[in-house]
Amino acid sequence: MRLFEYQAKDLFKQYGLPVPKSILVNDIDGIRGAFASLKPPVALKSQVLAGGRGKAGGIALVNDPTQAEREARRIFDLSIGGEKPNSLLLEEAYPHDKELYLSVTLDRGDRAFVTIAASAGGVDVESMAGKVIRRMSLDGIDSAFAIEVATMLKLPPIQVGPFVSILLSLERLAREKECELAEINPLAVGKDGFLMPLDAKVIVDDNALFRHPEFAKLHPEDEFEGEASRQGFAFVRLGGDIAVVGNGAGLVLSTLDLVGDSGGNPACFLDLGGGAQQERIEAALRLVNRLPGVDRILINIYGGITRTTDVAAGMNAVLAEGVMKPIYARVSGAEEEEARKLLAGSAVRMYSTAPEAVKAVVKGA
Amino acid sequence: MMLPKKGDPILVQNMTGRYGRLHTRLMLDYGTNVAAGAAPGKGGQSVEGVPVYNTVQEAVEKTGARASVCFVPAEFTLAAGEEALNAGVKLLVIITERVPIRDELRLVELAQKSGACIVGPNCPGLIIPSQKVKLGIMPAPSFSPGNVALFSRSGTLTYEIAGQLTGAGLGQSVAVGIGGDPINGSTPIEWMDFVQNMEDTNAVVAVGEIGGDAEERLARHIEKAGYSKPVVAYIAGRHAPKEKKMGHAGAIIYGNYGTADSKISALRGAGVKVAMTPMEVPLLVRESLR
Repeated sequence: MRLFEYQAKDLFKQYGLPVPKSILVNDIDGIRGAFASLKPPVALKSQVLAGGRGKAGGIALVNDPTQAEREARRIFDLSIGGEKPNSLLLEEAYPHDKELYLSVTLDRGDRAFVTIAASAGGVDVESMAGKVIRRMSLDGIDSAFAIEVATMLKLPPIQVGPFVSILLSLERLAREKECELAEINPLAVGKDGFLMPLDAKVIVDDNALFRHPEFAKLHPEDEFEGEASRQGFAFVRLGGDIAVVGNGAGLVLSTLDLVGDSGGNPACFLDLGGGAQQERIEAALRLVNRLPGVDRILINIYGGITRTTDVAAGMNAVLAEGVMKPIYARVSGAEEEEARKLLAGSAVRMYSTAPEAVKAVVKGA
Repeated sequence: MMLPKKGDPILVQNMTGRYGRLHTRLMLDYGTNVAAGAAPGKGGQSVEGVPVYNTVQEAVEKTGARASVCFVPAEFTLAAGEEALNAGVKLLVIITERVPIRDELRLVELAQKSGACIVGPNCPGLIIPSQKVKLGIMPAPSFSPGNVALFSRSGTLTYEIAGQLTGAGLGQSVAVGIGGDPINGSTPIEWMDFVQNMEDTNAVVAVGEIGGDAEERLARHIEKAGYSKPVVAYIAGRHAPKEKKMGHAGAIIYGNYGTADSKISALRGAGVKVAMTPMEVPLLVRESLR
């Protein structure tokens, strides 16, 4: 789960990390008041989760209340990666000459958490020059480790103390809150050698949320994503017109590829999970049927733990309700013959292979 | 690592749970020697005639099982995995989904120390059709004995591709679901190296998906060390959006990190034939065996 910048900065404060003075504003009426209580220049920052916020125009530096209001109006209305902000963060600008990069993150390939630091902040971590990567113990790091990173970065002595304290706090935050990523980019270097995190990106391990009830209420939920998650489906909205439903993440991903390759536009990714029974099949079909923009449904099932007869019975049950959009289905695997018998004479358009079903649903025939 | 052979005793952790019971039966039906169950407080019970013990230690002592299939819920998987590894289990198959990353890393560390192999978590397990050994939840009819080794980050996609191979008369020497999480107990590279030395294997199919850089690493490994058997790959998620978790915890693209295109071009650069659809996999395997 990715946190918004303001949520990540609240966490930073809890862990003793410095952050610039800021105020969160939820609507245009709050802008003037918030601006008045901050020292200009003030940065207006769109609170979206999508990447590339700066490039997309989601941040503005303003010097007076009129300009603040004008820019705020623009940013509230600006969609970044399909996402409009519910709030803006107004933050005092921090004068600085130089920027660093610092993160604590999971290195999947090395199967370890690592510290990544670079003596130049930047947009693309992959291509940062002079990047330092150090493997960390699961039990944490000590000052000696942090000093070593500072030395490898060739930081001037005046910056070493602040850097060590920031790295120690960031690591403790990432470990205790079980983050996949805790990132400061940029970490500004002030004229006095003081270091100030200007942006904060935190991604919490979804699978560890049961140990962290404090994160449970952080996110405003999309209506459909909320319902899907309560039902235990893996679900992602994609914006097209063909709902794609299947059992197993890889199989559904592969089905999206087939649809995309044939020129179709998926409306969603819905993975029923293993062993879905009839009620769950029905719930999934009703959910995608209500999804705005959907006008046909593609089901790709490879029966194993999921019984194809349950899938067939589920399709028949929702079709009997009389409001379903056309269903195109490929149902293979265990008990396939019985499933076909159950569907004989039903409105489900059955195909024996995934490519055939995809071709038909894309064509809309 | 040693793969179990026909008749080797297998242990099931949390055998008395819903999935433990169901799959104990299905593994027995396949011909696998499920010899013991472990479930705290359930010692003395039996499932499908297989005795259940309170601890893994006891089950190992009584039956000599060195391989375990773990159905313990995510909250307790770390403890159950530690128990198994400390009791001398050398092949630990973790089916459980939603295990926290830090728990997985602890288990990987412990397995390395104790010289054990973990398969999973969040995987369908592994199957060796010629030996009637099935340590997991995969539907048996999709698989058949043969000479193609298959490993995959996705469950149903493993079944789909095994089914395609089987339908084309290409049986499998071993099929492994390595897991859909960011951390895998055993990696594609480890399996690649392992199956290279399997005598009854003459081709390898690697199934990947978006997220992470396991496939890029595999490609570099093949390029550097060379590989003596033909390799065919399939990567799911060419049309997946960025920054969205696509069902598996590990299936997520950050920026340009973890895209299908990066994986496909890395693998092609290493001389691997990459199929664009699951249906194309058997065709490429046939072609490379010609």
